[in-house]
Amino acid sequence: MLKKLSALIFITVLVNLFSRGVGFSPTQALALSIFSASILGTLFFWDFRLTFVFLGTSILLITRTIDLEHVIKFSSLEVILFLVGMMVLVGQLKNAGVFAWIVSLILRIKNLTANKFLLFICIISALLACAVDEVTSIIFIVAAIFEICDYFEVDPTPFLIMSVLSTNIGSSGTVMGNPIGILIASKSGLTFEDFILKAFPVMLVCLITVIVIFRFWYRRQLAEFNKRIGELGDNEMLVKLISVPPEKELKVSLLIFAITLVFISLHHRLELLLNLEGNTILLTIPLISSGLVMAWKWKKAREFIEKDVEWWTLLFFMLLFAQAGTLKYTGATDVIARSLANLANNSYAALTGIVLWVSTIGSSVLDNVVLVAAFIPVIQSFTGLSVNLKPLWWALLFGGCLGGNITIVGSTANIVALGILEKEKRIHVNFFSWLGIGLIVGIITTSIVWLALVLLPFYN
Amino acid sequence: MKIKEIMRRDVVSVKPDDIASGALEMLFKMRISGLPVIDSEGKLVGMFTEKGVLRFILPSYVEKVGRFIYEENPKSTKKKFHDLNNAKVSQLMRKEVVTASQEITLCEAARIMLTQHARRLPVVDASLKVVGIVAREDILKALAKEAQV
Repeated sequence: MLKKLSALIFITVLVNLFSRGVGFSPTQALALSIFSASILGTLFFWDFRLTFVFLGTSILLITRTIDLEHVIKFSSLEVILFLVGMMVLVGQLKNAGVFAWIVSLILRIKNLTANKFLLFICIISALLACAVDEVTSIIFIVAAIFEICDYFEVDPTPFLIMSVLSTNIGSSGTVMGNPIGILIASKSGLTFEDFILKAFPVMLVCLITVIVIFRFWYRRQLAEFNKRIGELGDNEMLVKLISVPPEKELKVSLLIFAITLVFISLHHRLELLLNLEGNTILLTIPLISSGLVMAWKWKKAREFIEKDVEWWTLLFFMLLFAQAGTLKYTGATDVIARSLANLANNSYAALTGIVLWVSTIGSSVLDNVVLVAAFIPVIQSFTGLSVNLKPLWWALLFGGCLGGNITIVGSTANIVALGILEKEKRIHVNFFSWLGIGLIVGIITTSIVWLALVLLPFYN
Repeated sequence: MKIKEIMRRDVVSVKPDDIASGALEMLFKMRISGLPVIDSEGKLVGMFTEKGVLRFILPSYVEKVGRFIYEENPKSTKKKFHDLNNAKVSQLMRKEVVTASQEITLCEAARIMLTQHARRLPVVDASLKVVGIVAREDILKALAKEAQV
């Protein structure tokens, strides 16, 4: 603990001295070192991350590195409110049994084979991660995997890893899959339609590629699973293991969610029609849906807000965004952007490669929101350098999502799923056994994205 | 009236290294829902409860997947019940235990039970050694007695 704290202080001071040495102003250097302390805080002291952003933001305010007005502006309240609305909505879907119903659908796969199971869990993991956040989706898929693997008495670990890797890939497919999706949409002006046209197809190509990789990498485990199916027969018991009463609440909840998705997908058209500022409908639709849910379930409204909304995480995001905004406010990101543009010789292809690979590698060890929050003001600073920003936003999105597959700590979905595996089955997946498949999947999928962004004029 | 006047001093407890199935058997025999877990130095290290056993045998995600009905008993439940024969009490016990000191009043004990959702309070001395235990029933009986006087 003391060693880590000493390392954090040492690196923070070093960042300050180094940045001043290379030409940053004192306020820029302070903003950079405080932001570095917050990043290191999340890396070394995950449970204390709020302490770091609270203290860091306070220092920035007291030292007049930024003013209160801009702290509020940069804290991206619109993104936070979007996430609050989605969390309330997901809370109601859970209460109504929607996710358990999805689990029961997986348990009812007819004429189950190992390949069919692999396909189902990869596709459902990816699609569910597109619609709700990755952590919510992984819990339900893990539940289905455990029940099926328990029934056929096979090790669930390979299937769990395949599901997590597919979840991280799937979370890049839409605006709602990952907090970085909505953050990027909000800052770049990209719409849901842009995501469906440009992110979703690449996500599908990555998913198909990893399914092929899984079939080869886990061929022994798949053969074993087929053998067990042959020995134990069909999954009759699993078919009737759980049921979800098809009550009105389930149907109405599904309807509200479906309408929300429809409006989110049409947000750009509606904004044009109503002459509203870009992304106004996108950011308010979850608030309208959750408002209706709270009016419908008014006795549970307080519970939705207090239990289903992860205030701990959202407050961390708000202050982290404010600290990243301070980098822009002080002009530190303009200096970084100029250096990066020079490094890439003002070539958008090289710049896209840098953003993609740095964000992939960075998010393999860091929380992707931290990384994306740091990168956004840098990308915004490219505006003044006549650089085409669009491929850079996609590079940031995919890097932030796909990098999470590389290491065991790369994304929250990895940590949550492996935590359940350890608790339930006492199976510990070590860093290097994950790295084997994680690195292959991470490098191959990021390469696919790189090729698409550089070669397809569609992305420029 | 103080807690020390009504607490049970003959505290039946289990050790962290005891086998979980044996501890569960004790709960059945004594018809109670929980027992304090006390280490070799007499210090309280946890609480072994029926709820803890249920948590152990059911998948941890049942609390997270929302509403559904088990139409069949999953295979894993039977296996996990067998695992109780190999599991130690320390693996199933709740580590955060609400305790009370001997000098607190009945109402303070009642307040702690109500606000901390505790069914029973192990009573500890200054060195955290368990010197007694009170259950909700003990508090209510003592309060009823006081009310009659």
